[in-house]
Amino acid sequence: MNWINVCNEASMPKGTGIAAWVAGRAVAIFNLGDDGLFALDNVDPASGVSLLARGLICEIDGELCVASPLYKQHYRLDNGRCIENADLVVKPFDIKTEQGNVFVLAQS
Amino acid sequence: MAVSKPKLVVVGNGMVGHHFIEQLCSLGLNKTFDVHVFGEEPRPAYDRVQLSKYFETGSADLLMLTSAQDYQDWGITLHLNTPITAIDIAAKTVTSAQGDHYSYTRLVLATGSFPFVPPIQGNDRAQCLVYRTIEDLEAIQAAAQNSQVGVVVGGGLLGLEAANAMMQLGVKTHVVEFAPQLMPVQLNDKAGELLCSKIEQLGVSVHTSKATTAIIDGETAMHRMTFNDESCLETDMIVFSAGIRPQDSLARVSNICIGERGGIEIDDYCLTSAPDVYAIGECALWQQKIFGLVAPGYQMARVVASHIASLGSNTVSQSFTGADMSTKLKLLGVDVAAIGASRGFDNAQFVELSDNQAGIYKKLWLDETGKYLKGAVLIGDNSDYSRLLDSYLSQDEIEGSAVELLLAGAENEADLKDTSIVCSCHQVTKGDIVEAVTAGNHKMAEIKSCTRAASGCGGCAPLVQKIIDQTLQAAGLDFNAGICAHFDHDRQALYHLCQVEGINDFNTLITLHGKPSASGHAYGCDICKPAAASIFASLQNHYVLDQNLGHVQLQDTNDAYLGNIQKDGTYSIVPRVAGGEITPTKLIAMGQIAQEYDLYTKITGGQRIDMFGATLSQLPEIWKKLIDAGFETGHAYGKSLRTVKSCVGSTWCRYGVQDAVGFAIDLENRYKGLRSPHKLKFAVSGCTRECAEAQSKDIGIIATDKGWNLYVAGNGGMRPRHGDLFATDLSTQDLYKYIDRILMFYVKTADKLQRTSIWMDSLEGGLAYLQSVVIDDALGINSILEQQMDHIAATYQCEWKTSLEQPAFLARFNEFVNPSDAPEADTSAYQRIREQRFPSIKDAGAGTIAIKDITDDAAQLAVEELA
Repeated sequence: MNWINVCNEASMPKGTGIAAWVAGRAVAIFNLGDDGLFALDNVDPASGVSLLARGLICEIDGELCVASPLYKQHYRLDNGRCIENADLVVKPFDIKTEQGNVFVLAQS
Repeated sequence: MAVSKPKLVVVGNGMVGHHFIEQLCSLGLNKTFDVHVFGEEPRPAYDRVQLSKYFETGSADLLMLTSAQDYQDWGITLHLNTPITAIDIAAKTVTSAQGDHYSYTRLVLATGSFPFVPPIQGNDRAQCLVYRTIEDLEAIQAAAQNSQVGVVVGGGLLGLEAANAMMQLGVKTHVVEFAPQLMPVQLNDKAGELLCSKIEQLGVSVHTSKATTAIIDGETAMHRMTFNDESCLETDMIVFSAGIRPQDSLARVSNICIGERGGIEIDDYCLTSAPDVYAIGECALWQQKIFGLVAPGYQMARVVASHIASLGSNTVSQSFTGADMSTKLKLLGVDVAAIGASRGFDNAQFVELSDNQAGIYKKLWLDETGKYLKGAVLIGDNSDYSRLLDSYLSQDEIEGSAVELLLAGAENEADLKDTSIVCSCHQVTKGDIVEAVTAGNHKMAEIKSCTRAASGCGGCAPLVQKIIDQTLQAAGLDFNAGICAHFDHDRQALYHLCQVEGINDFNTLITLHGKPSASGHAYGCDICKPAAASIFASLQNHYVLDQNLGHVQLQDTNDAYLGNIQKDGTYSIVPRVAGGEITPTKLIAMGQIAQEYDLYTKITGGQRIDMFGATLSQLPEIWKKLIDAGFETGHAYGKSLRTVKSCVGSTWCRYGVQDAVGFAIDLENRYKGLRSPHKLKFAVSGCTRECAEAQSKDIGIIATDKGWNLYVAGNGGMRPRHGDLFATDLSTQDLYKYIDRILMFYVKTADKLQRTSIWMDSLEGGLAYLQSVVIDDALGINSILEQQMDHIAATYQCEWKTSLEQPAFLARFNEFVNPSDAPEADTSAYQRIREQRFPSIKDAGAGTIAIKDITDDAAQLAVEELA
């Protein structure tokens, strides 16, 4: 288990996502300002395509979500669960900042 | 060997004959019968009820109920200009005026009626006309051109319609009626008097109790009409509209039983005295009654279709049990309605309301006990018609005193029972509508198409809308409410708020007008954010990915990266090729770029070229090259103008009458970049051959030798719709004005992701309303609409050019924030077919992915992205 430095805080756009390469996997990271940072596996389980970082940030019934760009399923940013289909779950990643750098906890 | 099908012959292609064909098709009988329809007029069925509309637009197009193409699509042979002159009821054949014979297994006579012309000396003089067909209207129009004064003979329902038409043609109009009052069949004397004074206020002179004795040469005008009271009237033209007579001559010469005073006798299944021969509509006589309205004719059409379907099957046929002749209409702008025994009867009790100030007269006729409504007449205000009709048809005992029926105010949809007929043209009950709404049809357009309610005369549309709203409300569903959970406003209201308050960022919009979430977030969702982005762009036309205003965070999948996402996460690129015209040099440049990046290329339906398979990070590089080669963005990713398709036009084509390509390019350049509620497609055809298929576009333009005809709100795709003819023979200048206004009015009033076709169907008042707004400036907003469009055109930018000018911004197009750590893209995910590159992912795509429990809007969004 090790934290990977993916970028500095300044290179994270606010209110949208961006993908980072973390130890062999693409991870979507989302910078929601005061509401914090979130990280999910970038692969959309509904389509198998790596693109969740390009989704629109939404609030559905009080939960912060990302809408998949392809078929519009909503995945919760905190736990990766799909709002519409309980069978679909995206793996969440731990994320933190230290001294202006962004770290994602690599998973095996 | 083909088995020959039984033959069904229909004589007459008027409203009732056509309704019968529609019923036949809805029962699938067009597949089991070889159907031949004969019409003596040169065009298929049109709306005779609203004939005077012809003069509003100068065109028959608006009146058409169908087209020859529809009949072809249904597999039905339509013989126009083909009167039938004889029926051999023994041999079961019919003979046309052209001398051809056709055999039938079953025959339906829907020959309608003809106008009664009183036997007056001189009734065959020039400019003495009738009012029944489009050809009659053309003759009336021609006569009006050299007439100062005109007379309509007949003050009944049709006569007043004809008077309306004559007035619209700018002729000083007189109505001459034999009876002492107007509409003597439906109205009592007081109602007739009020109607008369209202019509006279409009400038029509009414002469009652006058029988015309002769028409002779006039002194100050073409004719002089002399009357039984020795008076006379000089006029240049005369229209006879003194009632109708059943068109029964074909049946008469064919030895089918005819009533004493005319009309083909029918039984409860609409069968005549001849075997397997039916008669329906105004030519038919049921229990010694002729029904001169369209709704009973439609009922007969349904009965016959059901009777034919029941033969050889176990179903029981409907039967004709008479029809209610109640009617509600606007005559010369005056509300008139008559229900049941509207002229009263002996021993009747009554309640009468006469409001001289408001110009309203209402009278209810009750039975001797005063507990049951037997008839009603309404002048000046027929807003309680449905409620009264319901009370009359149900014959329920009136609760309380009858006068309350008149004082209850405008009708309340809650008063209607489920069995109440809401749409009398198509016999749709309130229950039918409620059921359709409950089944998920929440929009007016959906209700129209699944129940057919409000698709006849359209008079019940406001009531249908109320029932929809009420049903949704009762079911606890949001009705007519906010676009999503974050706003109580619909798109039109949000547009208005942003415009009036100058709001140009989502944060302000949701803070001021949105609903706060429990957690205090103000993120919005994938419904309201793209809608807001579109509204901001329509109003301000700023760069859509502006970071300072936060617009980049609002854009939906395609707009967000200025490309069209594909199933494998790559993008397709569509540069603008205005009007579909491209130089060989640019074509080569595009080809070279596609080759360099190994992009799959395909010609689109909109006459441009789509290049697929560009990765996110390739987009800026490819666009740099395209822009250097002289291209600009094609906005294929936006809800905005896509293409203006064109045929080659008069520059090369030997049939073209206008330069379609040149005009298409100019149009595309004016409207490119306009962000709208949904995508927009145009087309321009250089002649009536219509090679550009303009009638299937949001805005379709067809050249004429005098200018351009403009069609609006056509659609291809999932729900095809022919555009409505909006205006004819326009100059180029007027055409631009009209399109400016129509588009900005659409942008201003449409729902989110609502194509113009659905917008038009949901617009209360439909095409006529849009015409009044755009052509007559009924709302007084045209100059504002034009200014807005001028602003959009003046602030156009190629979004890719703007993006490429901001190097820092382009980081957005990197696949990874840490690209140096990431591996090269995997190229094994592709296969080659027909020498081009295709994704090899097999198990992805809308067809195989279960999208369950996604809201309608999200599913719609997903589908739209594919389009």
